[in-house]
Amino acid sequence: MSSPTLTAGVYDRTPPVWRGPGALGRYFDLLHTLVTRAIKQRYKRSVLGFAWTMLNPLITMVILTVVFSRVFGGLVPNYPLFVIIGLLAWNLFSLGSTQGLASIVDSGSLIRKVAVPKEMFPLAAVGANLVNFLLSLVPLLFVLVFMRVGITWAVLWVPYGVLLIGLFTLGVALALGTMNVFFRDVRYFYEAGLLAWFYGTPIFYPIEVLSERARAVLQWNPLYVLVEVFRTPIYAGVAPPTGTIVTATVEAIAMVTVGWLIFRRYHTRFVDFI
Amino acid sequence: MTYDPGTTRIAVEGLSVRYDLQRERVISVREYAIRRLRGERFPTQTMWPIRDVSFTVQAGETFGIVGRNGAGKSTLLKVIAGIVPPTLGRVQVRGQLSPLLELGAGFDTELTGRENVQLYGTLLGLRRKHLRERVDAIADFAELSPFIDVPLKNYSSGMVARLAFAIATDADPDILIVDEVLSVGDAPFQRKCEERLARFRARGVTVLLVTHSLTLLKETCTRALLLDPDAPIVIGSAADIAERYAARTGG
Repeated sequence: MSSPTLTAGVYDRTPPVWRGPGALGRYFDLLHTLVTRAIKQRYKRSVLGFAWTMLNPLITMVILTVVFSRVFGGLVPNYPLFVIIGLLAWNLFSLGSTQGLASIVDSGSLIRKVAVPKEMFPLAAVGANLVNFLLSLVPLLFVLVFMRVGITWAVLWVPYGVLLIGLFTLGVALALGTMNVFFRDVRYFYEAGLLAWFYGTPIFYPIEVLSERARAVLQWNPLYVLVEVFRTPIYAGVAPPTGTIVTATVEAIAMVTVGWLIFRRYHTRFVDFI
Repeated sequence: MTYDPGTTRIAVEGLSVRYDLQRERVISVREYAIRRLRGERFPTQTMWPIRDVSFTVQAGETFGIVGRNGAGKSTLLKVIAGIVPPTLGRVQVRGQLSPLLELGAGFDTELTGRENVQLYGTLLGLRRKHLRERVDAIADFAELSPFIDVPLKNYSSGMVARLAFAIATDADPDILIVDEVLSVGDAPFQRKCEERLARFRARGVTVLLVTHSLTLLKETCTRALLLDPDAPIVIGSAADIAERYAARTGG
């Protein structure tokens, strides 16, 4: 047993192709392929293609501005900018988590037939939405220019905010995606809950409009600080408060860890239930 | 990679696999909560398709697996390929493994042949660069060169199977798992597949072959394993196993 081997191992969980030297490269290549496919799928069928990704947040922004700028405009200068930044962060989270949640069950036939690392599917769903998110930064730039709002060095915090939102989203997708294998209505509960979550997050309103008590409750909404880490550097042109950064970091890491642990605990049973 | 004949490629020790099949397949949170409150149980049907199986396969061997339908052959291959986790026991695989199981699972019919080479190949753990370089050779072997940029939905089932076989065998593996997929395509293509497998064997690639054909078993395998849900497993020479299997099935 001393001869050189490409891949080796006793396995109860990870098939040999996906462990050992060289596995990381294979992993990355598969992820790359799946993300590319998801993006191609999204744009193949629509006439407007990429333009749609950019138009969509702009349209929502215009609607929300028309409806709410009277109400919140006094408190929030450059209201459209405030809204679109929040929307982009929210879309990254909500689309990434719903698609990631569904991805495990949707890949059921593959999971039963091919020795593939199953976490790849939620990872690819979140990854595809990250790419999409990057494209939707174009309309954000457009709004910045249009409203003559400058960019400061604080913008360097933006990638970090995006990273945290991505990690948090992945954690939610892993945890709920695992539950969805065993209870298929988790997906529908989540989609309904997401609507409430949207209204419970200061995306289109400033937190100042809430009562003391509502604000205290809102502190427990992890998405609030995550959105702030992304929004403050662009909207206010300053670094997010240290407390916000620390809280957001802890939340994102905690969520992705919990999601990963739940996934690892149950993923070997997927083949029986999918 | 050297083919030291003393290398153990596959070692299966005391392997048992349990399937927990829910009687009512999909359950919802709502239903679960209601039944919990009523104090009802959730019956699962337990099956042991594999019970206490041990064997080793050395480098360069062609090892046959025979047994009736439902004896656990496919499950055994899936455990070795890493698709189904072992419930008890250990499975050790040394070397690059290429499973010719469920050929074409993972193909996306909306994508072209070329894109599917990339997709299916990376699902099997092949590198993108390698696939880009090899795609023409793969298309050539599958006799699909003129159609490689056509979406898969326009392929015939034979074309799809040929493409899948060509990708899966392009990996230069140390171990091949073959589940009666030799019936791919028409007679000339089948001959090509058999030639390719013969060339692998000649190069010292270890082959794990599930088959119902005792002729094929005797012709190609060195040793074999007989799976039977009602009796302990038997390992022996291909001729010996062929004889026992024929006797048990009354053939």
